[in-house]
Amino acid sequence: MRDNRRARVILAMLLLTAFTLITLDYRSGGGGPLRRIGNAIFGPIETAAADVARPIGGFFGSLGHLSSYKHDNDKLRRELAAAQEQNRLHAAQDAELSDMQKLLHLDQRAHYRMVAAHVIAVGSSLGFESTATIDAGSRDGLRKDQTVFNGDGLVGRTLSVGPSTSTVLLANDPNFAAGARLERSQEIGIFSGGGRRPMMFTLLDSQGAISRGAGLVTFGDIGDRPFVPEIPIGHITDVQPPNGALTRTATVVPYVHFTSLDVVGVVVAAGAPPPRDSLLPPRPTPNSSSPRPSSSASAGASPTTTP
Amino acid sequence: MRRQLYAAAVILTALLLQVTVVNRLHLPGGHPDLVLIALISLALVGGPAYGAVAGFAAGFVADVLPPADHTIGRLAFVYAIVGYAAGLLEDTEERSVVGAVLAVATGSAAAVVLFAGVGALLGDPRVTTGNVGHALLAAVIYDVVLAPFIVPLVSGAARRVEPAGVY
Repeated sequence: MRDNRRARVILAMLLLTAFTLITLDYRSGGGGPLRRIGNAIFGPIETAAADVARPIGGFFGSLGHLSSYKHDNDKLRRELAAAQEQNRLHAAQDAELSDMQKLLHLDQRAHYRMVAAHVIAVGSSLGFESTATIDAGSRDGLRKDQTVFNGDGLVGRTLSVGPSTSTVLLANDPNFAAGARLERSQEIGIFSGGGRRPMMFTLLDSQGAISRGAGLVTFGDIGDRPFVPEIPIGHITDVQPPNGALTRTATVVPYVHFTSLDVVGVVVAAGAPPPRDSLLPPRPTPNSSSPRPSSSASAGASPTTTP
Repeated sequence: MRRQLYAAAVILTALLLQVTVVNRLHLPGGHPDLVLIALISLALVGGPAYGAVAGFAAGFVADVLPPADHTIGRLAFVYAIVGYAAGLLEDTEERSVVGAVLAVATGSAAAVVLFAGVGALLGDPRVTTGNVGHALLAAVIYDVVLAPFIVPLVSGAARRVEPAGVY
């Protein structure tokens, strides 16, 4: 408990500085120059760290298997380890390749000009944000507010762009919203990420027809930024009763697995929009369950009732 | 001086591991906070002033380290307080692991609550009761599990870097 007074003065000054930072960033609406500087300085370090981290993660994953061969002789063991390492690398490369192929497949049908990138970092220390760093930046032609997608569908939009890395706001973040259109119909509405809660689709027309299993695609924005049209988002799982509200809401299960993102594409230039509904995956049959276990906590998110 | 360099290296490593490895693991509920555990380990050796400065610096870098997207200054604020409080616990030479684990558990809970509190004041839509509850539970459990491994390692090395109370 030595020089406690000095420590208290230091703490008070630091907290004051932190409050000043918070105020400045809050008043400038966030995404100020500090974010770009952060991307410029730490982006390359993160890229390098991700390159190192990938094999290490794989190594820890394969430790369990290696231990069972300890009775074999040294040479055999080393050969086996090498073979397993090869195998694991092949498996990882295969997975990456199939990600790539799916992305290219979707992109070929869409005719967007895109830049492919890897996800190198996710989230932040304590934050509740659902964001990712990708290893492509302004040098590759990326700008703020561009569509990010992968072979399965919509991943998010670019938030801040550094020289060689960028931050992506993922579609399951509570801050995420995009104009969306229901498959086959003209019905439009707003898709929003829910964080821990399911994602929601708000239909602007309270009388509009909406059914379970219907696919949802992006509606597209003016000038194709932030969103180009026709990127698949997900399918409707649960429709809330109208309850006299002005809009109707439904929960959405996304096509993209946000926990295992690797290869993504960023649309840097959009050509003519692809034919309607041409990018959607085949519709799931009603009696088979949804492709993934939906986190259907149903979350007491009752529709707002304002008669 | 050597201690400052050591602290910077430890915190930067923790920050990078956090976003490139830990946050990408598929853990149920949430993630451990490596930066917080490293910070508490350093503060337990360095004292309150040291803890507050280290916490502020770690938090500020975490605020601008991509892909962070919260108001800049929030983590600096939270970690400065946690670092200071952990530093107050410093008085004996060798601490028991149990004490350190308790410090980490309290620090984790306090960090989540403070961070969410500042977020709520700023109107952050990501701060909901469900989110905070999950994060609180996950942070405390995972941090307590990791603390017995990380704290002795980081604290022990910190003592060896600059032995005999410069502070």
